[in-house]
Amino acid sequence: MRTPAKGLDRLWIAAFLAPFLVLFLGFTLWPLAATVYYSFFDWSGMGPIETFVGAGNYTSIVQDELFWLAVGNTVLFAVVNTAIKLPLSLVAAIFMTRRWVRLKRVFRTMFFAPLVIPVAMAGMVFTYLLNPSNGALNSILRDLGIIEKSFDVFASRWSAMLALVLVSIWQIFGQYMLYWMAALQNVPEEVYEAADLDGASEWTKLTRITLPLIKPVAVIILLLALVNAMHVFGLVVTLTGGGPGTSTYVVSYFIYQEAFGSIPFQYGYASAAALLFSFLAFILVSGQGLIVKRAQELRKEYGV
Amino acid sequence: MKPAAATGLALLLLTAAACGTSGSSQNTTGGQITLKIWDFSMEQVEFHKKVTDQFTREHPNIKVEWRSIAQAEYKTTLPLAFQSRQSPDIFYWSENGPLNSRILLNNGWIKPLHPSGTAPDEFIKRWPQGSFIEGVNLIDGKAHGFPFTDNLYWGGGYMFMHNDVFKQAGLDPASPPRTFSELKAACAKIRSATKAECITSPNKGADVMRLFDSFAGVVMNGSGFDLKNGRFSLDDPKILSTFNFIQELNKAGYIAPGTNDKNFSRQQFAAGQAAIYFDGTWMPSVWTSQGFTSDKYSVAAQPLPDAGRTGAPGREPNLEKYFVSSQTGNHDAAWTFLDWMTKPDGFFVQEYYKGGFGTLSYADNKKMVTDPALRKIMEIAETPGFRVNIPVPLLKCPDLARSKAYQSAISKRPDWASEIITETLNNGGTLDAAAKELVTARQSALEEGLKAEAASGLKVSMDCYTFPDFDYVTDYGLDRY
Repeated sequence: MRTPAKGLDRLWIAAFLAPFLVLFLGFTLWPLAATVYYSFFDWSGMGPIETFVGAGNYTSIVQDELFWLAVGNTVLFAVVNTAIKLPLSLVAAIFMTRRWVRLKRVFRTMFFAPLVIPVAMAGMVFTYLLNPSNGALNSILRDLGIIEKSFDVFASRWSAMLALVLVSIWQIFGQYMLYWMAALQNVPEEVYEAADLDGASEWTKLTRITLPLIKPVAVIILLLALVNAMHVFGLVVTLTGGGPGTSTYVVSYFIYQEAFGSIPFQYGYASAAALLFSFLAFILVSGQGLIVKRAQELRKEYGV
Repeated sequence: MKPAAATGLALLLLTAAACGTSGSSQNTTGGQITLKIWDFSMEQVEFHKKVTDQFTREHPNIKVEWRSIAQAEYKTTLPLAFQSRQSPDIFYWSENGPLNSRILLNNGWIKPLHPSGTAPDEFIKRWPQGSFIEGVNLIDGKAHGFPFTDNLYWGGGYMFMHNDVFKQAGLDPASPPRTFSELKAACAKIRSATKAECITSPNKGADVMRLFDSFAGVVMNGSGFDLKNGRFSLDDPKILSTFNFIQELNKAGYIAPGTNDKNFSRQQFAAGQAAIYFDGTWMPSVWTSQGFTSDKYSVAAQPLPDAGRTGAPGREPNLEKYFVSSQTGNHDAAWTFLDWMTKPDGFFVQEYYKGGFGTLSYADNKKMVTDPALRKIMEIAETPGFRVNIPVPLLKCPDLARSKAYQSAISKRPDWASEIITETLNNGGTLDAAAKELVTARQSALEEGLKAEAASGLKVSMDCYTFPDFDYVTDYGLDRY
């Protein structure tokens, strides 16, 4: 039963909450409110905010083919990225939690190292590695006789998108492996011992015990992965610059280009694009809320 | 102090720190003013240090902090600095052509060079007569900018050839390819006789225009706007056939593959992995800063169409680069510095030429330039017809100084041309449909914008942008307005 705080306790609670509230107000609510406000104006970010355009920015955005291309690419990136990285990192996590595996620390470091490399640096390294003129990948494939002519992965929309997905997975893989390992370590050891007594194979234990028991956590990891992937920006800037042409534009890059890509800046338009995409993301997050709620119920049910 | 009060004070300080601004007020430490200058000339960092040290020796009360920001970031960083009132005292800005000063003034970014508003005659006389033009760099008679680089030698339209690669291919850089066909033939030899690429050129983002406009510059005056007919020109048959030629080179494997930025392409050329690079007057200093000296490469003019030149890269009275920020609290010091840096035989000028950074509009280039590559560039640019004075709409219609129609027509999607060019080069198609779409959209935006401005009282129309007696290859002199 909850007991209301009294006297000095209230003051302490307020004192401890105040820093968070100030920062939340200053760096979350205020920018959000400002973005909503700007989105109704034709404003360059300089000078007075005078030219009220009502829903004009939203009408333009809805008709802007580039915005929808960016939305499509963002969703595509998020789905493909998640569909590859989660199963892969789960397999790695299962491998890393096996008792018989040696050199676990070495593997863990190997998988985790890319995460500490700044995105910009990773983008630049892969730009050079994948360069068709003198990049290592093309050179090796040519030297091995696998290809005759160099290929440019960034020359077409689909190969460039695939490169973005794979480089992103290479970088974030270790983080998701850790999530899975945390989930796997929560599965009670006694359940495996009981299964051993019943003569269950490793495959049976995986499919009948491990996967069902981590399912509730898996839902949360899945949605985290999707939402994080929708924020892709740095790799697009450094690897493709949105190209060839505009074919690998994602929403964050579109917003950045609209806001800062030309003089005068188009803060109003960019704000409207950001809000419209946030609305789409909100639908996803709301769905996430419902699924997480159900997942938590399942966790209680399974006792994990 | 009680914990709650301490917490409150800390929060107050945090909030105050977060909201604090600087930049517009006078920046003085111990009686010494700190003058801030920003540009994006990364290759000039050492030079900047040398000149600012010398300036402070001569003016002990002024310390100069000259910051060079990567070019790709600069266009974002500077406007944001103005927005947050943290702009430098002097800044570099080279956009907008002849309207540069006027647009910057309209943005509220600049003030007159001299604190009194009127620059002394002695200053104005450092430039050839006619260099200060009302509406271009004089606004209401007050100098708001000054020509920095000259406008004959400075600019694109040069072909740089790697001597070793040319020799390996059995070619002589002293006899460079002069026509499109000769260029193609040279590329065929280079590709068959060496491991190097023929042409390296950046194609990431807007940098693809370095190559495209180099070729378009000899068929019209670039790919942007046709001043004879008053229309955006990307879909002009001459421009489209130029694109087709570049596409031919691309399909034949004569252009280095990859999605490369300008730094990569320049390094690729300097490393001998490519034979040819097209760019501008600034390249000798860029390569010198990378240890690639001018004895290792040669320079020639951009090859012409087989049927001959039908256009020439344009000269415009638009070479104002350095401006005094409207937010400066150090106007006197800013003027002192600009006055010092523009002394025709001063330390700045001498060191600028020693570094081979280019050609200045207020110094004797023929006397001062020593870098062999730069001297060759000057020789090329002096060839009659290499570069022509193109019509300046602002001089025909002074009200264009207050018009935003042209800027608006482009700023909705400023990189549109480079986007479709890159995409088409990659998919191997033709540019025609995409170019037509771009021209139709921009042309109608410009026409509608001008009509709206005319209705509000400005004397502007499409006629301001149309010069039927211009032929793309002959100077359009100031006497023709």
